Amino acid sequence: MAHIPDGVLSVPVLIGGGVLAAGGLALGLRRLDERDIPKTAILAAVFFVVSLVSVPVGPSSIHLLLSGLMGLVLGVRAIPAVFVGLLLQAALFGFGGLTTLGVNVVDIAFPGVVFAALARPLIDAAQPRRAVAVAGLVAALAVLGTAGCVSLALALSSAEYLPSAKIVAVTYVPLAAAEAVITALVVGFLLKVRPALLASPAGRPA
Amino acid sequence: MRPTATGSNLVLRSPRERASRRTRPWSPAIGTRRALASFLAVFALALTMLLAAGQNPAEAHRLKVFATVEDGAITGYAFFIGGGRPEGVDFIVKNGSGTAVHRGKTDDEGGFRWRPDHAEDYSVTVDAGDGHFAAAEILADRLAGQLSAEPATATPQATAPAPAFVVPAQPGPAEAAACAPLDRDALAKLVQASVDRAVAREIRPLLEAYDQADGRVRLNDVMGGVGMIVGLAGAGLWAVSRRRRPVPDDPAGPPGERRDPPA
Repeated sequence: MAHIPDGVLSVPVLIGGGVLAAGGLALGLRRLDERDIPKTAILAAVFFVVSLVSVPVGPSSIHLLLSGLMGLVLGVRAIPAVFVGLLLQAALFGFGGLTTLGVNVVDIAFPGVVFAALARPLIDAAQPRRAVAVAGLVAALAVLGTAGCVSLALALSSAEYLPSAKIVAVTYVPLAAAEAVITALVVGFLLKVRPALLASPAGRPA
Repeated sequence: MRPTATGSNLVLRSPRERASRRTRPWSPAIGTRRALASFLAVFALALTMLLAAGQNPAEAHRLKVFATVEDGAITGYAFFIGGGRPEGVDFIVKNGSGTAVHRGKTDDEGGFRWRPDHAEDYSVTVDAGDGHFAAAEILADRLAGQLSAEPATATPQATAPAPAFVVPAQPGPAEAAACAPLDRDALAKLVQASVDRAVAREIRPLLEAYDQADGRVRLNDVMGGVGMIVGLAGAGLWAVSRRRRPVPDDPAGPPGERRDPPA
């Protein structure tokens, strides 16, 4: 699904993904203030652990990504978090690969960051209940964005590996729903307990 | 960014006003503690899910291919370590030089079977259709006992032993032939074939168990990864604090989550 292994993608796609990921990483690290390090690390750890747990669905099996949640809480700092999580998954478990690390970072982190940034004004302006709904939507869109990016990376590499729309629909749509529910629950909880966590990324002067 | 700023204040204020009943003065320490507590809750949830996912310490999400040799045919199945078999998806057999020699679809159990006409290094790649790929290799050695190494392939690594046998495809004729008086060579072939079959039958469960275990996520590794992240965070904090030391109090630091101490 989201972890594309070594030896599948073509070299231009790998390089493109690597360059994009490096740019995002630099951007995220530059924004990584001392106060952000603990929460970035904790979310990186959550991502690392949670995407190891998978549930069989249909012909495939799925696992959470929480990229929407990371985008909402961390902003561009989600990119270093995802990078670290993916690096460790590739090194320790062989999920994904080292050459595809850049592409996988782009696939997983970027949609969450982008959709969270787009939804930011909506969430800030909304009442908590609506903000929770928007957060769920962000999570679902982030998953579908990941599906799109994975498909695109594969399609650009070789027509042979174009994912079948049916299988992608069967696996990613339930995942998007699950992510939406979980992200909404977490965001609702954070809004009650510590709303500043969700407010910080946009509150910063760029 | 005016609307954003006022907007975020809106969000910030309302829950805090609710919380102000508790008349606890806000301080960075309390804020950090709360943040830590809430993330620990999320983390504990993740860990619980991890531990609850079946009897194994953890079920991983990864496609793997189990491939073995039976009766001179490459056979096996693809499986997700977290459960499930990719059925009706493409499998591609490639030879040692990487060219595809056979394509097919997996059956209901994610299984595949293909009989090559000569011994060579092969790899079986299964494409689950959703961006998951996995491959397994069958080296020429394992086919050599049952198939001839075709000289036409001219691959230097075709390490078939000098006497290459061709096994009767069906056991039936072989048994029938066993009743007839046999010369030494034919007998050797028969013995070789049945030994190969018996060994393949015996080692198959071992190979399967190995492949299953190979991909399993162990709790130790997970904890090791989490520890690495904690260490990275510590290293980052240390680096930042070193860089900050010349300017001990930096009020111009990025106004982050604590930018609004309540009046």
